[in-house]
Amino acid sequence: MAQLKEYFKIAFRNLRTRSLRSWLTIFGIVIGVFLIVSLLSLSQGVQSTIDEQLNALGGEMVIVMPGGDESNPFMGMMMGGDKLEREDIEAIKKSKGVEEVLTMSYRSSVMRYEEESKTIFIAGVPWKSGMDILQKFQGWSLADGRWPIIGRREVVIGQQVVNEIFKNEVKVNTEAIIKGSKFEIVGILNSLGRKEDDSFAYMDMDLFQDITGEKRGSAQMAMVKIEEGASEDKVAEAIKESLIKTRKRRIGTDAADFAIITSSKISGITGDIMKVIEFAIAIFAGIAILVGTIGIMNTMFTSVRERTREIGIMKAIGAKNSAVLTIFLIEAGIIGLGGGIGGMILGVIFAKSIELYGQANPSFYFSAVVSPGLIIFSIAFSFFIGSLAGFFPARSAAKLKPVEALRRFE
Amino acid sequence: MNEAIVKLENISKIYQLGSIELQAIKGISLEINRGSFMTIMGASGSGKSTLLNMIGCLDSPTEGKVFLKGKDVSLLSEDQLSQLRGKTIGFIFQEFNLLPNLNSLDNVALPMVFQGLPEIKRRERAKNLLCMVGLENRIFHQPAELSGGEKQRVAIARALANDPELIIADEPTGNLDSVTGKKVMEILSDFHKKEKKTIIIVTHDINIANYTEEIFNIKDGQEFIDHK
Repeated sequence: MAQLKEYFKIAFRNLRTRSLRSWLTIFGIVIGVFLIVSLLSLSQGVQSTIDEQLNALGGEMVIVMPGGDESNPFMGMMMGGDKLEREDIEAIKKSKGVEEVLTMSYRSSVMRYEEESKTIFIAGVPWKSGMDILQKFQGWSLADGRWPIIGRREVVIGQQVVNEIFKNEVKVNTEAIIKGSKFEIVGILNSLGRKEDDSFAYMDMDLFQDITGEKRGSAQMAMVKIEEGASEDKVAEAIKESLIKTRKRRIGTDAADFAIITSSKISGITGDIMKVIEFAIAIFAGIAILVGTIGIMNTMFTSVRERTREIGIMKAIGAKNSAVLTIFLIEAGIIGLGGGIGGMILGVIFAKSIELYGQANPSFYFSAVVSPGLIIFSIAFSFFIGSLAGFFPARSAAKLKPVEALRRFE
Repeated sequence: MNEAIVKLENISKIYQLGSIELQAIKGISLEINRGSFMTIMGASGSGKSTLLNMIGCLDSPTEGKVFLKGKDVSLLSEDQLSQLRGKTIGFIFQEFNLLPNLNSLDNVALPMVFQGLPEIKRRERAKNLLCMVGLENRIFHQPAELSGGEKQRVAIARALANDPELIIADEPTGNLDSVTGKKVMEILSDFHKKEKKTIIIVTHDINIANYTEEIFNIKDGQEFIDHK
């Protein structure tokens, strides 16, 4: 062990003597590790952002939308027009495994606030039956004010409406004109995670249908809270069956012109996309690391050539092959380790700055996940890569015959 | 009875330079007794350095055998040879061959590192050796900050680090002026008188050879012993 300490000292001095070259080689590894750490932590951030948003949609929830089909569930929603009728909603409610159904309708509308008119989204949700689900399972909470009282013309608004859409900040206990009717803004929601969801003014369903003329009892979508212990997929299947039955009776067609989405399905789709992204990242980062590794190998081979005579001297005065091998491996390992630590620090700073930027700009919502595992992995990996790259040059140094090594004058 | 520390048995060394064979040593047999102070003398290209490399176990003969302290060195592995060299032989080279990144103290201590001596002992002994060669003011200097004579004195201190039984010096004054060279030879000569260690010097300079007790002449790779 005492010898190892001395070998470290020698290796450090050798690196210091060739400091510019050492730093440039370290820089090569820094770039590779920086790419790995920043890209992986950002992609993990994307994944966790998606998961968070899915949770915001309701962890164990099934969403039913009219129109469209399952391969493109949002189509019907975008095109508008199609609705879930009262019968459909009743059918969903009666399906096996369904605990509660929260209907929702929405559309864009002009809102006038302090002499300024802007287009926002308005949404109707049944406060009476839905409040509990929205708070417990959708994570709705108030940043300011209170919840609307049923029967009064009151709305709660999202963060985008408060800060972004109007020139002046929209405050609680002020009035706004929506679709020609006067409303009191009684509450401001905390961000729901998605910019779109934060661009809404939410009101009671009856109120919404009064001002928009939408048929009472219908809705544009239904969020289904499933019973405890029930399987999402089975409930989705049950809803599908009863909707088809209802529709057949009602309009004489059994075409499934509605989409049923489960949160695990969305999670699965995004998970697949993330796998592709991560694979691409792994390839790019791998190339960067490979280039860095070749850099270390090149530096070490050059070093062995330059120091052939030194190697000869060390062997003449009693250094075993293993001692020479160890010294060179330590040098390469230090380059790798230095690069790893540097790259990791830069990567974390980069990822965290993007996250900070995201926090400062809600429209750019992003989080970076820097796990301790990623940090340990990047450092251990780069030390390993360094030593691996140094192995062949080190072995060639260790194998030199002392007399031949001493004869070199380079 | 004076036991041979080095014994060469009819050794030859042939270098293959492309298609040309160059016989540097032609069947030399030699016994060097413990405590000898000997010069191997010859002109440039006579094979004296090749012979010294063989004695110092830095190179192996094409034919014949080398015995160090009675052991046939051809039977030893590379690592065993390294250990044996480090423990038994101290080398002094014409070009000093100090490690440029290490200061005087660390250069002198290095052979002790390879022998696994603890740090405190290494440093203490290295300091003593540097004082012995008169470099107490140059302990923490890098080789680049030393004069030629000082470098060679560091090299001598390093050669003595593991208290070797045999000291081998290849043209130790070759890169020094005559006054400095004389000083170096006086150190070696004193050391031999005091410690009774075996010292073998390779040189082409008769003035250097005159410091020693025995001269081994070599010409065209063949021996010629001349006792003074």
